[in-house]
Amino acid sequence: MTTADLAAQTMPAGTGAHAFEVRGLCKTYGSGPSAVQALVGVDLDLHPGELVVLLGASGSGKSTLLNLLGGLDSPTAGTLRYRGWNLGQADEAGLTRYRRDVVGFVFQFYNLIPSLTARENVALITEIARHPMPTAEALELVGLTPRAEHFPAQLSGGEQQRVAIARAIAKRPEVLLCDEPTGALDVKTGITVLSAVQRINRELGTLTVVITHNAILAEMADRVFTLSDGHIHHARTNADPKPVETLAW
Amino acid sequence: MNNLDRKLLRDLRALKSQALAVAVVMACGLAMMIMTRSLIVSLESAREGYYERHRFAEVFASLKRAPKSVAERIATLPGVAAVQPSVAMQVTLDLPSMDEPAVGLINSLPDRGEPTLNRLYLRTGRLLAPGARNEALVGEAFAEVHGLKPGDTVSAILNGRKIPLRIAGIVLAPQFVFEAPPGAALPDNRTFGVFWMREEELAEAYSLEGAFNTLAVSLAPGGSESAVIAAIDRVLEPYGGLGAYGRADHPSDVRVDDEIRVLQGLSFGFPLVFLSVAAFMTNAVMSRQITLQREQIAILKAFGFTNRQIGIHFIKFALVIVAIGTISGAICGYLLGQKLVGMYHLFFRFPDLTFILATGALVAAGGASALAALVGVAGAVRRIAALSPAEAMRPEPPASFRPAFFERIGVARGFSVTFRMSLRNIERKPVQAALTCAALALATGILVIPNSLRDGISHILDFQWDLSQRQTVTVSLVEPNSPRALADLRALPGVITAEPYRGAPVEVQAGNRTRRLGLSGIPAGAQLSRVIDGSGRQITLPKNGVVLSRTLAETLGLQPGDTVRLRILTGERPTRDVLLVGVAEDFAGIAAYMDMDALNRLLQEGDRITGARITVAEGRWREFLTAIKNTPRAAGVVIKEAMRSSFRKTTAESIGLLQTIYLGFATAVAFGIVYNSARISLSERARELATLRVLGFSRGEVGSVLVGELVILTLVAIPFGLVAGSFMAKVIISTVNTETVRLPLILTASNYAFAVLVVTLATSASALLACRRLNQLDLVGVLKARD
Repeated sequence: MTTADLAAQTMPAGTGAHAFEVRGLCKTYGSGPSAVQALVGVDLDLHPGELVVLLGASGSGKSTLLNLLGGLDSPTAGTLRYRGWNLGQADEAGLTRYRRDVVGFVFQFYNLIPSLTARENVALITEIARHPMPTAEALELVGLTPRAEHFPAQLSGGEQQRVAIARAIAKRPEVLLCDEPTGALDVKTGITVLSAVQRINRELGTLTVVITHNAILAEMADRVFTLSDGHIHHARTNADPKPVETLAW
Repeated sequence: MNNLDRKLLRDLRALKSQALAVAVVMACGLAMMIMTRSLIVSLESAREGYYERHRFAEVFASLKRAPKSVAERIATLPGVAAVQPSVAMQVTLDLPSMDEPAVGLINSLPDRGEPTLNRLYLRTGRLLAPGARNEALVGEAFAEVHGLKPGDTVSAILNGRKIPLRIAGIVLAPQFVFEAPPGAALPDNRTFGVFWMREEELAEAYSLEGAFNTLAVSLAPGGSESAVIAAIDRVLEPYGGLGAYGRADHPSDVRVDDEIRVLQGLSFGFPLVFLSVAAFMTNAVMSRQITLQREQIAILKAFGFTNRQIGIHFIKFALVIVAIGTISGAICGYLLGQKLVGMYHLFFRFPDLTFILATGALVAAGGASALAALVGVAGAVRRIAALSPAEAMRPEPPASFRPAFFERIGVARGFSVTFRMSLRNIERKPVQAALTCAALALATGILVIPNSLRDGISHILDFQWDLSQRQTVTVSLVEPNSPRALADLRALPGVITAEPYRGAPVEVQAGNRTRRLGLSGIPAGAQLSRVIDGSGRQITLPKNGVVLSRTLAETLGLQPGDTVRLRILTGERPTRDVLLVGVAEDFAGIAAYMDMDALNRLLQEGDRITGARITVAEGRWREFLTAIKNTPRAAGVVIKEAMRSSFRKTTAESIGLLQTIYLGFATAVAFGIVYNSARISLSERARELATLRVLGFSRGEVGSVLVGELVILTLVAIPFGLVAGSFMAKVIISTVNTETVRLPLILTASNYAFAVLVVTLATSASALLACRRLNQLDLVGVLKARD
């Protein structure tokens, strides 16, 4: 059984070649004169298995878009469908189920549970996931098997972020969302982390969306969207995505 | 207002429910302290003013009879300032409002002028008219219960003659602040009242013209009470003196003293516990607040604010909480104190018992709370002061954890990951966990105390009136009678059984310690009045020897097998050394028991009885009461059910009110402690919990992670709390216990269950409230920011 089947079981069945289908998506924070329009009519389709990079300066709306794709927030207007299922109209319980079964998150500041070891941080998710991979396998994928019994405080930043990736993929998510995953890391560590992300995208076929403000990282993606002022300003397709290790930044 | 203060106000608004929880606990402690201290001040000042204005005597004596010249002799004794001889007689009253007879203690008033000592306070009506006959003044407590007003008439049997007494006025007297029959531990204003008549008329009725049988004495400045007592005893001995005593043994004054002692006990223990908890909570809230504002503090420091300014800012924060707690505690204490002062009217009769706020206690309590809060904040502020701004602006390093103790010893194999999180969190901050646990244990413990008071009372009720006293009614005779009198009583309508008793005033002495009391002679095989030992078994009184109540034996330092000296204070006044053969359990007053025949032998007056305990057939109760009202030989009738309901109405009700107040406080505190713990835990772990929500954990699952720690701590705290509560109950009960009323320490399973239930409910409710705040977690924001 694939994760798509699982999603179909837990959410209203839908069809479509696209993983995400986004039309006229708007998000406004606040109201009246103080309202801030974070997204203004975004149209976008994302396909299963591709690696997408969202580029943009801070305030461009890329994080808002990622939060909406991840079910952390609801749009103000427009439609947002995941495999035909109306994600934009989902209620709180639906969103929780969606995050639980479909999405894996990687954050800029790792957000590991400090009181749990690397292995347990991953196991925390495999306990609630429907068909998770073995914890050891997830750690193996990010090359952290030897550090499995360490607590976050005993790990370097790069190691912590790789634990976060292992945690995100352990449930075999259909979608992996990474918000500035290398933002807090040095170049060398950043490369290790991103190659783990790329490897997972290739080996597991997980639709992966990476937010960054570093334009060089766009070379690793299948498709690149540049956002500014809440619009998709520019979109392009890389005919030949490059392995992360070959990027110079 | 400067901007730092504006920040303070807004921070407080954000933290209002936690600040309120702390303030509530503080207010409870202060309210109790202010209430009890104010009551002490109110009682003391009312008593002092009353005694002084109405010239309350300092030494008292009763005797059979003596000519007035003896009183004049006593007035000349060294150390004596003034004497007031008078006549006091116990009489039977016939009231239209009562089926059974009541007992009146009629005191004489000088025919001319006011008494030298123990002057009356006229509440309504007028004083006795010179030369008027068949006129009396009545004590307020009795008048109130029976609705007596000036102009009403009460029938009294004076020396066998029924005389209608018209009530001229309703009065109070300093020697009857506590209006109870001599020797009674509890007031019963329905069946006992005090009256005053003109001396001429009262003395005439008892052929006591020119004589007296009661004496009140005041001391000259520097006069020695014990020397005066000894001298009076010597003078009165030939006249049947029953022994002089000072204020410390005066039954009314002792009761007021006892009450003040009880209040002193309560004014210390409870508030101390509550205020300590409040100090701990202030510390927890402030430490957390300072940790949360670490970066703000760094910025303030970077911009040139001094450590002093920042320290004062946070101290103000704590002081606002203290101020809220102090003001609401003071208001609450004031209102409760006023209510309780009203309740004292049931027991104590002062011309004017007004509530006086103990401002000294208020200032001290506020100061103590402020100090506790300052100590609470000081540590956290010092930590901040020690940091350089650059260091403080960097986030705190990630918390380091290690496997919990249970995991290290290998018993945690089956534990879920979330449970492990809770265990490790507890272990990482052992001091905080221990303090929270201690606070929860206290919350459990303080819930045990009020109900142990209630259970103690109900134990006394059962013991005194079901196990020990099984008669329907006790009838006392005017004077010692031959056993024929018993036959007369048995012949009254409705009597099923009548068991005689012989009472005699006695001084019990062991070494240099003495106590005066009534010695009860109980016939062999008595079934109505039973002497019970500590384990609830009836003591068979042997043909020789005496049984003392536990408190009396302890006071005298005696154990069974020791010899005790009995000095009989009536008749031939013999003195005998007898063996202490047993110790009886009882909860009110002090008591001594002997076999009735043995007592009669000791008294050398032949076979005599002074009363009988009687059971009456239910259907013939009215008939019996009518008959006994018309039995001139019967001096007093005590109906068990009337005593029991009077006890319920007065003592039980007052302790019940205290119990309700304390239970309210304990519940509020339990709730405050638990809620505060949950909120701090929520604040400390907001980021972690938000992460779990983002990762797909449902609200319930995240809630259980939040609450898990609290549940573990509560489970650990409860057994400790029950033990601590039992100990605190023991201490509190021992501080409120006096010679007159003693509560046993009764700890029941239902009391424990109640404490556990309330703490569990408080935990659940607080956890629910805290979990509701999980909805307000900013999932996106928490992930963006570093801790």
